[in-house]
Amino acid sequence: MKLTIKAGLQVSLPGPPVQRVVPSNPIRTVGLLGTDLPGVRAELLVAEGERVAAGDALFRDRKRPRICFTAPVAGTVSAIDLGEMRRLSSVAIAVDGGDRRHFDIPARLDRGAAQALLLESGLWPSFTARPFGRIPDPGSAPDAVFVAALDTLPLAACAQVVLAEGRADFALGVTALKPLTDGPVFVCQAPGSAVVAQDDKVLCVEVAGPHPAGLVGTHVSRLFPLHGQRSVWQIHYQDVMAIGALLRSGEIAGERVIALAGEGVRQPRLVRLPSGADLEDLVRGEVTEAPMRVVSGSPLGGRPSRFLGRHHWQVSVIPRAAASPRASRLGRFAAPRKPPPVIATAALERALAADIPVMPLLRALSVGDTETAARLGCCELLEEDMALIGYATGAAQDFAALLRSTLDALEPSR
Amino acid sequence: MIRGVWSRDTIGWVIAVALLPAFAVLLLEQGVPAAQRMVLALAVVLAWQALFRFSAGVPMSPTAAVTAVAVALLAPGEMATWQLVLAVTFGSVLGEAVFGGWGRNFLSPAVVALAFMFISFPEVSHPPAGPWIAAACAPAALLLLATGILSWRVLAAAVGSLVLTALALDADVASLTRLGGVAFGLVFLVGDPVAAPTTAAARVLYGALTGALTAYLGVRFGALGAPQAIVFAALLASIFAPLLDHAGVAAAVQRRRRRHG
Repeated sequence: MKLTIKAGLQVSLPGPPVQRVVPSNPIRTVGLLGTDLPGVRAELLVAEGERVAAGDALFRDRKRPRICFTAPVAGTVSAIDLGEMRRLSSVAIAVDGGDRRHFDIPARLDRGAAQALLLESGLWPSFTARPFGRIPDPGSAPDAVFVAALDTLPLAACAQVVLAEGRADFALGVTALKPLTDGPVFVCQAPGSAVVAQDDKVLCVEVAGPHPAGLVGTHVSRLFPLHGQRSVWQIHYQDVMAIGALLRSGEIAGERVIALAGEGVRQPRLVRLPSGADLEDLVRGEVTEAPMRVVSGSPLGGRPSRFLGRHHWQVSVIPRAAASPRASRLGRFAAPRKPPPVIATAALERALAADIPVMPLLRALSVGDTETAARLGCCELLEEDMALIGYATGAAQDFAALLRSTLDALEPSR
Repeated sequence: MIRGVWSRDTIGWVIAVALLPAFAVLLLEQGVPAAQRMVLALAVVLAWQALFRFSAGVPMSPTAAVTAVAVALLAPGEMATWQLVLAVTFGSVLGEAVFGGWGRNFLSPAVVALAFMFISFPEVSHPPAGPWIAAACAPAALLLLATGILSWRVLAAAVGSLVLTALALDADVASLTRLGGVAFGLVFLVGDPVAAPTTAAARVLYGALTGALTAYLGVRFGALGAPQAIVFAALLASIFAPLLDHAGVAAAVQRRRRRHG
């Protein structure tokens, strides 16, 4: 199957990565972040100072206790930070040793066995459910699974390069996805890169076009629109490779290949890191002198963070935004009291490849008209799909946050 | 994280740059009187923008230049200073500032100002603009189309419908190429991204409506290039723009429902 995205924006930024895995600084700390747990209230299972092996559970969801979050590496729990209302902010592990917990791999992988294995090993939170972008409920089954086996974000790692080293693991991982759904497993890949064999359940889709051609929101909207009670789960190809590695070895790999790139990186390249790597460790000595900021995720939708985010596959080092030149007293007095309005341009229309009229959607989101937003199809979208719109409008408003509050308002009614 | 260039202010400045050829031609053709009108109109718009900026935090906009050039170009008749000041005030305040500045308004302030002028002071006659203005609008249209600020759907539908309606009404179609005022109006007033609708189907309808109205009103006012024709056509069409957009959104929702069951 082929899918050509005619819309999209070519965002060219300085400092693209060399598509080759080159060693990085040693990572001494890894951390799991509370911001990666939408809708999860964490219940801690370890205390500060405790030793954990790779694959040991660190905390679990209070409401759905089968969902647990495991240590990607062996080490000592060095810090547990609680934020507002005692919600988990981060759990940090000082890396040492190589103890790995072994998981028993069931001989026959039916739905129950596959779910149990993924839940126990902490790979279950690799899935994000649409609509609403939550970690799916254990025991539920989606109408389809989407694997994004391409990455069109600016400065991202090329999926083909990363997959070349773990093709067998990826194929094994896809077999574990099949029992999870009664519907199809869509594997969306770059043109000309047969990453996995197609069969009656696995549908390979060649997606061509500029960003946002690689976003699952685009694929869902074009291939499997969400209407009625439909839901889909999405998973990143490297998470599929991690599932494959677990099935092969019975152990958590806990590593991922990410792009370390951007204007401020001396040697932009791919690096192999533990999940949740400490970005301070990573960029020490790698960044140029000019004032830069280190962002977990893409230059479009990433966020400044100490640790690499759960769903981030690149670290971008980009120039700090210059201070506003109009910070004078007169300027402050006359400062606009509302965010600047969005003007409809062709760039804005190209920023959303889903089958949704952009300006009406943005209007509905900015005035909080959840009903219209839902009728237009906002349930197919997640924050990541709004990042390019933020770019195309010159960051007029934080549409990702507006979409999140709209989705939160819609969630109870479904 | 990073920002693209298409913020409101950048778009405003691109539109202001696109005005330069028309501005230059106007100065060359009409000299000092045109310059006086432009300076006066610009001063009035900027004064109101500054007042609203400081009193209500409404951001200013470089599209003030559109109002200034439009007034000088489309209303070149002998007008008293107070008439010009009153009309531009009306357009700038009621067409734009009270809604929260350029980007939140739904009518072009230049169109509102000109319509006010034509209705309130009908005794002043305004000769149509010449072919050089039309030629000056070509690079402007190209710049705005290339930057995606002017919708090609609006422009194509408007030109097509203008020609077809003019043919149907037995007007002198050959003269269309020389209609400077119409060309300027289509590019800067009708094509204003704020006044035009935002869905694809609505844009085609909006363009077609403007073109047809321009030709019809042109014949009514006695000449295809009459400035009144393009101004009232733009005014009527942009009043209908929200309705057209509403229909466009309803059609998109309907299409979704049909496609997905």
